Amino acid sequence: MQATAPVCAPKDFKSELKPIWCPGCGDYGVVQAIYRALANVGRPPHEIAFVSGIGCSSRIPGYTTAYGFNSVHGRALPIAQGIKLANPDLLVLAAGGDGDGFSIGGGHVPHTVRRNPDITYIVMDNQIYGLTKGQLSPTSPKGLKTVTSAYGSLENPVNPLMYMLSYGAPFVAQGTPADLPGLAAMIEEAIRYPGFAFVNVQSPCVTYGEEEQQIKAHKAHMKPLADLAHDPSDLLKAFDLSQAYGTELYTGVLYRNPAPPPTFEALARARQAELMPHALPRERILDLFLQE
Amino acid sequence: MSTTKGIDFSRLSLKDALDLAVLIEEEAKERYEEFAEQMEVHHTPEAARFFRFMSGNEEKHRAELAARRKSLFGSAPSTVSRNMLFDVEAPEYDEARAFMTARAALQSAMRSEQKAHAFFVGALPAIRDRDVRALFDELREEEIEHQHLVQVELDKLPPDPRLGTADFADEPVAH
Repeated sequence: MQATAPVCAPKDFKSELKPIWCPGCGDYGVVQAIYRALANVGRPPHEIAFVSGIGCSSRIPGYTTAYGFNSVHGRALPIAQGIKLANPDLLVLAAGGDGDGFSIGGGHVPHTVRRNPDITYIVMDNQIYGLTKGQLSPTSPKGLKTVTSAYGSLENPVNPLMYMLSYGAPFVAQGTPADLPGLAAMIEEAIRYPGFAFVNVQSPCVTYGEEEQQIKAHKAHMKPLADLAHDPSDLLKAFDLSQAYGTELYTGVLYRNPAPPPTFEALARARQAELMPHALPRERILDLFLQE
Repeated sequence: MSTTKGIDFSRLSLKDALDLAVLIEEEAKERYEEFAEQMEVHHTPEAARFFRFMSGNEEKHRAELAARRKSLFGSAPSTVSRNMLFDVEAPEYDEARAFMTARAALQSAMRSEQKAHAFFVGALPAIRDRDVRALFDELREEEIEHQHLVQVELDKLPPDPRLGTADFADEPVAH
């Protein structure tokens, strides 16, 4: 479906529900960036479905006027795919934290990527389990001291960017609320991309996060890919840049497949069209099993 | 640290400069409003009141500038957008803290006024248009005036209690 009137302003996507994130949390900037991106895309709230898992960041659908589903831990992607298949005309967003996406829901990521549904997946990556009071998460840096790693984490973090690129995600980007206009533009581009689009947002946890992970530090150290003349169609370069996850904060589109592969819902519709002329009427379906 | 993107100050017209000033005030107004809501949700009423007061002030300035723009240029289309600026006069998102004192809230506003002043000071050397220069000079002076006003309010406040925000537990709320 094309962008249709009425054109909404960012404020039209803000719900009555007031966020209860800790003051200073990066997610406040992320939700503002989403409002802006949705306004620019031009679809009204009733044409949008926003699905999340569980965690601080997974509250985000409730803070928008889109249809929202704050679902089950780690299950945002399967539910979002079901919604997209049932109603391909909907603009479908999925969101959650790094624990929700890469630990509890980690098994769903490769299967979503290989199906390539036209879904935008926004992960608010704060490198910690914040809602449950500061345990190690899959993206916590090695050596991080938390309540579950009193002497420092022994594990290497998951690299969300490389993870997505490795499975063949056609659109992979990274942003931070320290550059809200840049993040909004990136989310808008991800939504407009015809296929699975992943945006990793380094969204600081003000309560349990490290000082060097806070917004001020992001502002000082982030490296916009646009300033580095990065070519987002260069997959090998994207892999190269993704290796710096955790040491450099590259912001922008790392990879955008210039020849978007067909989406899962388009393939499903095509198969349906192919089979429908030969389909038996519903009352005769059992005949298939009764034939010799 | 404030940022603008894609604005060539050397070619800025008075209409665009006024639009930019309006957007700067609008961003600050909205951010203070957000902060006030955050403080209300987190049972920090004094800071909430102050942030609401600041939001009202920014809205007043926005409306004045918008009226001036309209009287000079009517509804001529703008070439400046919110995407071109960020955190110019608005306090940065991580300035807010649960249970922040009124003093901390005022100090945050003071940093924002200083930041806005630095923005106008930094932009002035690039400006060629005489009217735009006069406007930026005026806005720069206003930021100094605002700093004085905040300082006066700061001086009236009693010292902060010995316990800081870190002494209060305000951890993420469970479902």
